Amino acid sequence: MTFWFGLSPILVVGLGTLLLMLAEAFGKSPNSANPSDAGSGRSGELALGAAVVLLVGAAFSIGVWMVGPENLEGLEATRPYLVMDRFTVFFCFVLSLGGAFAALLAGGYLPEHDIDRSEFFPLLLLSTVGAMTLVAAGDMLSLFVALETMSLGVYCMVGLRRSPRAAEAALKYFLLGSFAAALLLFGAVLLYGATAHTDLVGIGQAIKTIGQPGSTVPVAPVLLGLTLTLVGLTFKISAVPFHMWTPDAYEGAPTPATSFMAVAVKAAAFAILLRVLVVAFGDDRLTSWGTGWPPALATLALLSMTVANVVAGRQSSVKRMLAYSSIAHAGYALVGVVATMRSADGQASVLFYLLTYTVSTVGAFGALIYCGSRGAEATSYEDLAGIAKRHPAAALAFSLFLLSLAGLPPTAGFFGKLYVFRAAFDAELYVLAVVGLLNSLVGAYYYLRVMVFMYMREPAPGAQPAVPMKSAFVSSALVLAAVLVFALGIAPGWSLDMAGAAKIVVSAK
Amino acid sequence: MMGQLVQHYVLLSTVIFLIGAIGFLVRRNILVQLMSIELMLNAVNLALVAFNRQHQGNMNGHMFAFFVIAVAAAEAAVGLAILLAFYRLKASVNSDDADTLKH
Repeated sequence: MTFWFGLSPILVVGLGTLLLMLAEAFGKSPNSANPSDAGSGRSGELALGAAVVLLVGAAFSIGVWMVGPENLEGLEATRPYLVMDRFTVFFCFVLSLGGAFAALLAGGYLPEHDIDRSEFFPLLLLSTVGAMTLVAAGDMLSLFVALETMSLGVYCMVGLRRSPRAAEAALKYFLLGSFAAALLLFGAVLLYGATAHTDLVGIGQAIKTIGQPGSTVPVAPVLLGLTLTLVGLTFKISAVPFHMWTPDAYEGAPTPATSFMAVAVKAAAFAILLRVLVVAFGDDRLTSWGTGWPPALATLALLSMTVANVVAGRQSSVKRMLAYSSIAHAGYALVGVVATMRSADGQASVLFYLLTYTVSTVGAFGALIYCGSRGAEATSYEDLAGIAKRHPAAALAFSLFLLSLAGLPPTAGFFGKLYVFRAAFDAELYVLAVVGLLNSLVGAYYYLRVMVFMYMREPAPGAQPAVPMKSAFVSSALVLAAVLVFALGIAPGWSLDMAGAAKIVVSAK
Repeated sequence: MMGQLVQHYVLLSTVIFLIGAIGFLVRRNILVQLMSIELMLNAVNLALVAFNRQHQGNMNGHMFAFFVIAVAAAEAAVGLAILLAFYRLKASVNSDDADTLKH
């Protein structure tokens, strides 16, 4: 019994997915006269179902966290394929929450924009299950399968709309995503060849023996495997220079799918990146500045922050600007990942950062959805001009999430950035921390620009400004996200303690 | 003797993987790019089975290969579906024609 309870955060969502698929397949559609439109017109109920399933999953994560996965008997049996530790449970909660937000946003967005296709919701849930198993993966086999489970669902969600732009976005994401997955897989195989292990703990122990007498582990395949694995994973977190797909896929996808990619896919990829680095490549020689992965990841972090911020300021589409902003945020979180090499707080800072980033980003995309309606989707800055006068609530919500993304107190984003940069200072990574701080200032420019348009500009004469939609789903998601942004911004202590407790500890067994 | 045999297979698999990777990067026909990805995944399978011959005692490599085959099939299904959607809208299978999304 304790065994099933321990796995419940993943199992609940998995079973809920199957039930939702049945409901989707056998339920009566209002438009059933047209067989090709079967399943349309039911987004509302399915969105509610999906959100409930994910929130129940989140509740089970909290339950498992309270009991403590280490106190549950028999849970070791799923190792190494699924490692249910506090780290996994923490991310199961974050991912369920992000998925629930995306489901709520989709419940409003899909009917409004005439892409009322109910298969979106089973896909969303399946991707979330994939993301959760990815976080739990302790073996290259389950890592690869979970990564693909997550990605395949997202590819389909991106291409949901029947428009050239959506098909193009899905195509680009799919081609580059599969290529990166193949590179990751080849890296995993090289590691298997060198160390005779596919589980991360075994790989880590075999790497520790390098240089000791009697060791048969060759160095070159390990380094090549490390490089390819990192390329595959940094592709998923969309760090520069592996970010080329991000703006296109984010812009062409339906906005709820974009928010899911920005939140859940990125958080899951960061989680598994941390686990791989700490468990498999935690050897002292590999975490040192001279001979290991820190300089490579530090370069990626510097590039991601700087390039994304410079390019984001030059966008004319707000959605595309948010896409570049998510690349910049991947850079900030990577600073925390690099800091794990020397600072004990590095991991906790990344976990906390991802939590704050999740609620702020989901809110920002949600507000963007909220500002548009059928035929007048808000995408460019001009669409938002003067919206504060006509619809103050929409503008206020958008401003709150933008301030959180910019990292201003008293919002969640402030503490997220603070802890990441403090961990970087602790780890004596002064250059990274200072460049990160400067980039936050640059980033504030394009977030504030949106607010300038909303509050200080008038729409050009003859232009058709966006009209906010009316949807209980989107408004409830925005309210929930706003509450969390404030809660994390005013009292970050409890969640930071949780992030600290969720740290991966490599046992010396 | 056996170590040498494994080495040959791993070398072959690396060559196939590189052919796949180069094909993916150089060719512009999306179908050929999909085939290149399949080539890369199958190169991985070959390496997995070869390495399992070297690391005897368990069947991890063989099992891994089966999973890769299954995942590759699922990936091909989704990839072809996306390609079909793209072809219907654009009447092209050239990835250079995917150029409407630009800043």
